[in-house]
Amino acid sequence: MRELHVTMFGLLAATLMAGASGWASAQEPIKIGVLTVRSGPAKPIGDDILAGIETATRMYGPVLGRQVELVVEESLFNPQQAVTKATKLVQQNQVAGILGTSTIETLALLSVADRLGVPIITSNSGSAAITRERCNKWVFRTNAEDLMSVVSLQELVKGTPRLQDAKWFTLGHDYPWSRLVASSVKGVKNLKYVGEAFAPLDTTDWAPFIAQARAAGATAVIMPVTLGTPLLQFIQQANEFGLTKDAVLVSPIGLPDWVVDKLGPTSTHVVSAGSWAAWRYEESNPTTKAFNEAFYKEHGRVAGMQALQSASAALMLYNAMTKAGSAEPPAVVGALETIEVQTPVGPLKFQPGGRQALVPLFLGPYEKLDSPRYGASFGQRAEALPASKSLPKPASEYGCKLK
Amino acid sequence: MDLNFLFVSMLNGVVYGAFLLLTSLGLSLVFGLGRVVNFAHGALYALGGYALLAVIRGAGVGYWPALLLAPLLVVPIAIAIERTTIHPIRHRSDIYTLLVTFGISFVIIGAIEYVWGTGTTLLKPPQPFVSTVDIFGNQYPLYRLVAAGVSLLVSAGVFAVIQLTPVGLRIRAITDDPGMAEALGVNTKWLLTLVFGCAAGLAAFAGALGAPIFAIHPEMGMSILLDSFLAVILGGLGNLPGSAIGAFVVALTKSIGGGYIADWSTAVLFGVVAIALIFRPTGVFGRGRVA
Repeated sequence: MRELHVTMFGLLAATLMAGASGWASAQEPIKIGVLTVRSGPAKPIGDDILAGIETATRMYGPVLGRQVELVVEESLFNPQQAVTKATKLVQQNQVAGILGTSTIETLALLSVADRLGVPIITSNSGSAAITRERCNKWVFRTNAEDLMSVVSLQELVKGTPRLQDAKWFTLGHDYPWSRLVASSVKGVKNLKYVGEAFAPLDTTDWAPFIAQARAAGATAVIMPVTLGTPLLQFIQQANEFGLTKDAVLVSPIGLPDWVVDKLGPTSTHVVSAGSWAAWRYEESNPTTKAFNEAFYKEHGRVAGMQALQSASAALMLYNAMTKAGSAEPPAVVGALETIEVQTPVGPLKFQPGGRQALVPLFLGPYEKLDSPRYGASFGQRAEALPASKSLPKPASEYGCKLK
Repeated sequence: MDLNFLFVSMLNGVVYGAFLLLTSLGLSLVFGLGRVVNFAHGALYALGGYALLAVIRGAGVGYWPALLLAPLLVVPIAIAIERTTIHPIRHRSDIYTLLVTFGISFVIIGAIEYVWGTGTTLLKPPQPFVSTVDIFGNQYPLYRLVAAGVSLLVSAGVFAVIQLTPVGLRIRAITDDPGMAEALGVNTKWLLTLVFGCAAGLAAFAGALGAPIFAIHPEMGMSILLDSFLAVILGGLGNLPGSAIGAFVVALTKSIGGGYIADWSTAVLFGVVAIALIFRPTGVFGRGRVA
């Protein structure tokens, strides 16, 4: 009898302990790392990235019955800092995935991704190599890459008579992306290309370079200028010199919406050759509208390009976890390869055999809205160019060979 | 060679040179008097831009009154900085003040970010200077010309003070021989503080004047600080006329270089300075002469 009591007591204790442990596990949040810039001139970009992830996280709700906890780390837009912080996120915070990275951080993380061993979904990285010749099984991308943007630019020119007849000039910063953009413009058949100028990265006075564009008689100026303060300075000074009277300004990857807000009416001189996202896509996509409303409610401003993109990356991750039934990294990576998710940038899935999302690009001019929406008075008219046009082949044909 | 384009490039250089002149004079004055290599000068320039913004928004005054008031807000801050951080270590070697001012620049930028945030503010030029004017068939922003004119006038005023006033006489005396000046009853300590404050005021004035052109953001002073140092080094540290000429050499090299060989313009600029220093290690006009 005494033995029975002991056994029953033991069973009861074991059951209680197992229950308590299960309860704790159910309540333990899933941690997701957000690695982005949190200071300096590029901070508004990081603000949008973080805000987008926050809203997407709230909209999605618990993942696998567990709350999602965002662990935010400052990347400083610095490769070394990015590796250090990503390692800290994985080893110390034990995050199940990393979101929020831009080109500099993503390129740095590629070399340590196997060691980190968690899915990294970037939403703000242009470099094509990330999902082409340097593709890695852990690193996914939701935004369009540079070579997709090249196709988009060519489509814009084809569909816009004014741009077909224009005298094109490339005016940007002196780095590889600018030269890629310049070569893509030169690659458009029958286009009149009148010159190019690549300014040092610390340029604050664009007058000498604007003078070159004017002297060349440019009527279309494509501007691969670093997003943020330099882009603001350039557009303001181009307007100051009257360049916008003679020439249309073409942005290769669109303008962040906080830049549009600051430029106001000056933004209407700009046409986007392929934004990574556009909040006015809500006019044809209900998911974008739902996100825009939630974002405005939470942050009191319009959802910018980076916010829409980062939210899409977050939704891909959460849906993959749900489909995998687990937050274990290998299972999530497997699920990411097969899911298709409705996101603020449209229905998304990753390229078969690759890591690039089949994401549309958004072409169109910036214009004044009939009435302000989400606090914005100006916004880009968004015509979606499907990925079937900008990325028609399987990943292996673009140089991606996953190990 | 397209002479019209050359003309526009030179005009751009002269306009930028006028801005650079204001910041270079302050930098040169402070070094000439106190042997202080002031790395906080760029941050004080930025503070001028934000002071302008604060006056316009806070006091609701127009651009021109705000342009006059903004530097006056920065001067006391600079004086406080000088008395509390630079003054106590003046007797030490130059590297100490250099490092301290380097640190101060981060503190000022951090304070700006804390108070105003990290974003960029665009400011429209004041009416009626928002338009362009036709100069030999080239449309040129009117405000840039006005701002360059104002810069040149203020700079001329600085030279006049140095050359024609009793305070200027004392400043020149300290620059020549601080020990002798002190022995003759010149209060060198407070004069150094005063000059530091005035130099900061000049930087702040330049920041406020340039705000409608270059936009206001916390790191707006970094680029102009580098160019100002190049101008001062080229002209001779502490040599005011040398710094003035250096400012225009730097600005014209940047502008004409940027106009013709944009990718190489920075390399050309540093090349010009390097060549000048090889032949004249203390600057083209020698070191340490205020006037």
